[in-house]
Amino acid sequence: MSSIKIRSQRLPNYTEIRLLISHPMENGRNRDPISGELIPAHFIEELTIKLNDTTVITVDMAGSMAKNPFFTFRLKSVANGDKITASWIDNRQQIDSVDYIVAG
Amino acid sequence: MLPLRRRIFFKQSTKWVITALATFFSIRSGYADRITEHFASAQASDIMTRLFADRSISYNDRINLSLPKIAENGAVVPITISSELDAIDRVYILIERNPTPLAAVFELSSEAMVYLTARIKMAESCNVVVIVRQGERLFKAQQWVNVVMGGCGTG
Repeated sequence: MSSIKIRSQRLPNYTEIRLLISHPMENGRNRDPISGELIPAHFIEELTIKLNDTTVITVDMAGSMAKNPFFTFRLKSVANGDKITASWIDNRQQIDSVDYIVAG
Repeated sequence: MLPLRRRIFFKQSTKWVITALATFFSIRSGYADRITEHFASAQASDIMTRLFADRSISYNDRINLSLPKIAENGAVVPITISSELDAIDRVYILIERNPTPLAAVFELSSEAMVYLTARIKMAESCNVVVIVRQGERLFKAQQWVNVVMGGCGTG
């Protein structure tokens, strides 16, 4: 089960891509409410969006983005059957990637 | 005898740690430098200096920001950035009073329109500053957001 969900909507002048990622995005300054221990930092450092294997958007981020990051992007020339790839890497070197085929 | 051994042990182990760290950072040096320097916890003004040195950034009313005036929960604050400006290749989001002020840097190719939404964390009420880069030129827009519940779990 991928951590990334993608939805798209094709409109006359652009295609809107919505992206939801499951990730704690811990900045390392929060404490566990029960044990009182600091929760170690765990956040996505880089998110890459590719359209047919060409990078169109890169997002560098850190712990100031909200938990379970949600993004909307608009791309200019997406056609039916085009492939959108979203991939991320976090500060623990964990990675995830998903391919999404645009339809409709 | 023991104190001496212990000292040697500490000396030696410090060396190992340093070597290990050096190896780790040299492997991903370019990446680590960028992340640590720009996404470090510091004053927003320091981060701005690191990002843009002393280049002038003018206000531009063709950058549209949509943020709540009052955010009930600082842990999730939606932001929408759009602009009619041409050839914007980078968008920065800075939250002035967050411990780590730089929230995100978007690099946009010509395929991407300048229309972005995201969700940021805000530790307390402050200005959210968006800076866009158009080739060599920098423009900014900002909006004040009142945060009702900030502090822990945010920023």
